[in-house]
Amino acid sequence: MRKFTIFRAGKLTLAVTALLALAGGFVGVGAAAANQPVLPPSAVDGPTYTIGTDTTFAPFEYRKDGELTGIDMDLIRGIAANSGFNVEIKSLGFDAALQALGANQVDGVIAGMSITDERKLVFDFSEPYFDSGIQMAVAESNTAITGYADLAGKTVVAKRGSEGETFANSISDKYKFKVKALADSATMYDDVKAGNSVAVFDDYPVLAYGINQNNGLKSVTEKERGSSYGFAVNKGQNPELLAAFNTGLAELKSNGDYQAILDKYLKEPKPVVASGFFGLLTDSLPALMKGLSLTLLATGLSILIALVLGVLFGFFKVSESRVLRGVSSVYVSIFRGTPLLVQAFFFYFGLPQLTGQNIDVLTAGVLTLSLNAGAYMTEIVRGGIQSVDPGQTEAGRSLGLGYITTMRRVVLPQAVKIMTPSFINQFVMTLKDTSLLAVIGFAELTYQGQQIYAANFRTGETLVIVAALYFIVINLLTMLSNKLDKRFNK
Amino acid sequence: MSTISISKISVSGLRKSFGSNEVLKGLDVEISEGEVVCVIGPSGSGKSTFLRCLNKLDELSAGTVVIDGFDLSDKTANLNEMRQHVGMVFQHFNLFPHMTVLQNISLAPVELKKQSKAEARATALTLLDRVGLADKADARPAQLSGGQKQRVAIARSLAVNPNIMLFDEATSALDPEMVGEVLQVIRDLAAEGMTMVVVTHEMGFAREVADRVIFMADGVIVEEGTPAEIFGNPQQPRTQDFLSKVL
Repeated sequence: MRKFTIFRAGKLTLAVTALLALAGGFVGVGAAAANQPVLPPSAVDGPTYTIGTDTTFAPFEYRKDGELTGIDMDLIRGIAANSGFNVEIKSLGFDAALQALGANQVDGVIAGMSITDERKLVFDFSEPYFDSGIQMAVAESNTAITGYADLAGKTVVAKRGSEGETFANSISDKYKFKVKALADSATMYDDVKAGNSVAVFDDYPVLAYGINQNNGLKSVTEKERGSSYGFAVNKGQNPELLAAFNTGLAELKSNGDYQAILDKYLKEPKPVVASGFFGLLTDSLPALMKGLSLTLLATGLSILIALVLGVLFGFFKVSESRVLRGVSSVYVSIFRGTPLLVQAFFFYFGLPQLTGQNIDVLTAGVLTLSLNAGAYMTEIVRGGIQSVDPGQTEAGRSLGLGYITTMRRVVLPQAVKIMTPSFINQFVMTLKDTSLLAVIGFAELTYQGQQIYAANFRTGETLVIVAALYFIVINLLTMLSNKLDKRFNK
Repeated sequence: MSTISISKISVSGLRKSFGSNEVLKGLDVEISEGEVVCVIGPSGSGKSTFLRCLNKLDELSAGTVVIDGFDLSDKTANLNEMRQHVGMVFQHFNLFPHMTVLQNISLAPVELKKQSKAEARATALTLLDRVGLADKADARPAQLSGGQKQRVAIARSLAVNPNIMLFDEATSALDPEMVGEVLQVIRDLAAEGMTMVVVTHEMGFAREVADRVIFMADGVIVEEGTPAEIFGNPQQPRTQDFLSKVL
């Protein structure tokens, strides 16, 4: 009964993918999209606005026990309740939230964003809701740096595109230091602790919160007077939302809720006692498993689609039609010739801008991964078919068998056997590539890990747990695949 | 010696080029039913290409080939139908490694809906018996010796019941001690009256089995005739030169 090897091998892949999808569905019911409303829709009867925010900007926005919380979150929800509209929060990351706003993927952004003239060109801002300022911090153990003058010849770090970066650059010539930009606070603090930079320039409330959370830094200078934070909508869009925000803000300020929110996060911060590694493990596991299920779901869907694309374009590549070969070559060179990250940005931010059609993050992610993996699959299929001795085709054809029959019964069973290890390899690659989708706010495993260490600053331990989860899952799946390969491709 | 003079294969003006390299430079051959024609000649003379043009594994560049009633220069000719009338045996056997011997032989009859699985199996066993390999039905090609592989390949070709057999250096890849067993199978086929074109380096075999020997060099037929004529009294210097080296 080895006649249907080709179909059996097909079943193998199907089975693996089905298994993955199942695992995804099983663990992650209701976790299909990263950016769910953090609050159940409130009782308010008004319109619902989608609000983008940062992932990692404590105390303005961060996750506590899996829920988004922080000054911005309390404010926007308070204002929404007060002004009679609903909000759906999308936790995207700062850069991504701004891009999403520009692409009309979200209606507004509240992300501890400084009101600057540059930003005013593309966004409309609310009344300022918080007066920020920049402060410098160094590693706790660092006694050499006590002021800007000690920075000469050193490198400092600031958040890309932030007021901190602007301030650091404004004094860098005077004090002769270099400024490097990173994407989020947790990474910057780690950079300082690791000694790659000697100091960090960050918004003072953020810094103060981090220091209070035992992030291993200390502030050594006074806060610089800085600009103010505002809520933003895309230029000319959603004026009624902006107006509602301003009205609500004024209301909260006058009734005392505003001050209560600030006090909750900034006044008398409670010292946090760090739990042990196993405490961290138990606390983070539910969120990480949610992420893992999304990772597996995206991998399963992507691999399945990639397989279809790979077989289709792979056959195009070995066909006698120059047009089909050309189509396939163009497809492969585009998706192999550009970085996966650029593709992900394009599908999530670029495509909606070009088409006016919004696209949810799971769709964009799966689209990216499947088209990318499909290009590699195409080459695997082409390589597999071409590595079968041409004499095999000649033997089949000389018996009077047609092209399709010869392919199906003679060439493909041998090609699939050759391709299977590469398929398994691609499968693992795609699983790992899902981690790149964290940048577009897809709440898979890596994203969940980032969320956790952004709030607790235990980067190393959290990443060890995340890596271990990837390691276990990938090795289990590889073992399973190899077992199936041995069984069906004898 | 063939007594029937119906032309089973008719080749005229056959030319074949690969890019700018002309491999066949105008061949004219008539082969009658039941005739055994051996094609000899130095490497690169175009023998194999000539054979591959006869069942259109290689496209013809010019000229006509009519084989068992199929005109190959006609674009609409049903090649799959034609190839069921024309069996081919390759130098490197080209057995299907993922199938058993029995599956190799019964694949085409079943896929072409000529026989049920049970019938194809019975036919395959009969053919295996005929080539002396009845006990190898369930073996994989990898478990067979070269001579056994080639005998299976012949059985596989015969399974679709062809009227004509083409042999492309069928013994060239074999260890010397295995050549005999394969030649014996071809000899038996000749005795049964199968029309055959045999490209070979086995001069003794050609002399013994062929009704006619064609000597090719540089893409043309230099000389043809009975084995006695070609081997006993070659007329052309090119033929004499070749035979003096191989005999």
